[in-house]
Amino acid sequence: MNTVEEPLIVTEGLKKDYREGGVVVPAVRGIDLRIGAGEFTVIVGPSGSGKTTFLNLISGLDSPTAGKVWLRNRPVSDMSGDALSDFRRDHIGFVFQAYNLIPVLTVRENIEYILLLQGVPDDERAARVAGILKEIGMEGFERRFPPRISGGQQQRVAIARAMVSKPELILADEPTANLDSETGSELLDMMRGLNRRTGMTFLFSTHDRMVMERADRVITLHDGRIAKDEWSRRT
Amino acid sequence: MTLALRLGWRNLFRNKRRTLIAGLAIGVGLASLIFTDALMQGMVAQMIKSATAAYLGEGEIHRRGFRLTQEPGLTIHDAAGVEARLEKDPDVEAFAPRAESFGMITSAAEARSVMIVGVDPSRERLLSQVDDNIRQGAFFEGSGERDIVIGNALAEILGVEPGDRIVATVSQAGSGVLAQDMFRVSGIYRFGIKEMDEGFAFVRLAKAQDMLGIGRGINEIALKFRDIRFATRKDNPFWTAYSTGGNEAVSWAVLLPQLRDALGLFWISLAFMAAILFGIVAFGIINTLFMSLYERMFEFGVLRAVGTRSAGVRRLIIFEAGALAALSIAMGLVLGLVLTLVVARTGVNYSGIEFAGTTFSEPLTPVLQVRQFVVYPLATFLFTLLVALYPARVAGRLRIADALRKSL
Repeated sequence: MNTVEEPLIVTEGLKKDYREGGVVVPAVRGIDLRIGAGEFTVIVGPSGSGKTTFLNLISGLDSPTAGKVWLRNRPVSDMSGDALSDFRRDHIGFVFQAYNLIPVLTVRENIEYILLLQGVPDDERAARVAGILKEIGMEGFERRFPPRISGGQQQRVAIARAMVSKPELILADEPTANLDSETGSELLDMMRGLNRRTGMTFLFSTHDRMVMERADRVITLHDGRIAKDEWSRRT
Repeated sequence: MTLALRLGWRNLFRNKRRTLIAGLAIGVGLASLIFTDALMQGMVAQMIKSATAAYLGEGEIHRRGFRLTQEPGLTIHDAAGVEARLEKDPDVEAFAPRAESFGMITSAAEARSVMIVGVDPSRERLLSQVDDNIRQGAFFEGSGERDIVIGNALAEILGVEPGDRIVATVSQAGSGVLAQDMFRVSGIYRFGIKEMDEGFAFVRLAKAQDMLGIGRGINEIALKFRDIRFATRKDNPFWTAYSTGGNEAVSWAVLLPQLRDALGLFWISLAFMAAILFGIVAFGIINTLFMSLYERMFEFGVLRAVGTRSAGVRRLIIFEAGALAALSIAMGLVLGLVLTLVVARTGVNYSGIEFAGTTFSEPLTPVLQVRQFVVYPLATFLFTLLVALYPARVAGRLRIADALRKSL
């Protein structure tokens, strides 16, 4: 078993309960975890195992009932409001399953949206958007609107949007779920390549075996707890 | 900021039909407001014109106290000087000096108490409409110093026709001695206004002055301005400039308080109508924005997740509302302008109908004013933004995890 020497993400006693009709439903039941910088990690588990809730807690999209989350030694679980929004903007990239992009913004506008939020100057913004489009092989698609490109191309643009601000962590929720296997495989190879070249940390939630096959580490959740934490032999 | 504006504008066209319906609702509301205001402006102008143009004038100058007592001895101080100033005043189109008193008109058949008014026919023609409404005879043609012009209702009561003789009796200024003289009916007019047709008799100014024993004194100078709005402004310096030496100059709004109050009610009713229209518009906007918000819940979740602050999402909703308002206002302006211009060409016929003491003599025509195309659209825009604050607040408080429930 590998150990994480320089953790990017640390969770301690992370718990999340939901209330449904007056009944407390535990979704995450105390997770202690360390994920290192540059890892390509997958979280798997059956529906209702707490994958989505766990990722929401790590990214600050939801707040824990108990426990703590640190990202690069910053206490995400203690942040709120604009500070938390700004933290996500600057440190975390998101790739969602589908309907990822804003359909009324062009490919270029979707990608540069976060840079605009960050107040990146025009010249630098243009250069970074052009660079990332080249990296994902989407040059020439700048002025297209998302509904006018394929699902695979949309996910590429979503990855570009997640990476353009150079965050430390990319969270991807079932990024291949709506793609055919060939497109999904290409997309995963692309993300794996980006992970190796840039050193960005990728954390997936998935059911897709193709994703697991490419991962450094596979964490299995069951009933809101870590059931297994396995490292790839390659690692 | 510009991306947020683009986002707001483009989002409008994601559901074109809904945007069109919402835009039309707001636009029709605005167009109704513009049209109603224009029609009311026309109605008010018509009422003021009907009330002032027939005889009264848009303003009057008297000796202070005359309006209350009608005492013919209260003549205008330095009338010649006042007239000389009025001649040179660029805002004054015409003025007519008058000497007047209540008196008795007697024919062989009947007697009636009326207001006997001495007029200068050449000046009176430029101001009042008595000469325009002559039905029989003429308005002081020739030099007959005993000519008298009366209304058709009074002529019927007295049983006289042009050429018949009647006797006028007045009480002389100061002494109260009765002065009597015989006149020949030279003209009969008809306004369709009972008060005018039954209660006035016009004689030459010099004759009236002689009968009243006021020398060359003048009791009243009726005024007509180049722009009637000039007279409507009660704070106009004109009134104070001519209210000197014991004289007082007053607007029609002071002379006809009942009309002024009736017009005030018009604007209150317009304000009520505007409130109702804006209420309907408010529900339309809220409904549209909430439908749009719930349809795009996941999208707002994504925007928040990638780092858009709560205020940024609120701003997006406000921009979207602003874009909807801009589109709606464009539609409303075109619709309002076309509707108003079409009705302005044909007019709305209320001729002969009496309201608030005045009788409409011409078809009502809407009056377009810059205000209608600036103030109301601006108010609509600001109101739309104000109403959008509620859905914007809801959008800003979305729980991101709920919005993204089926994803991260």
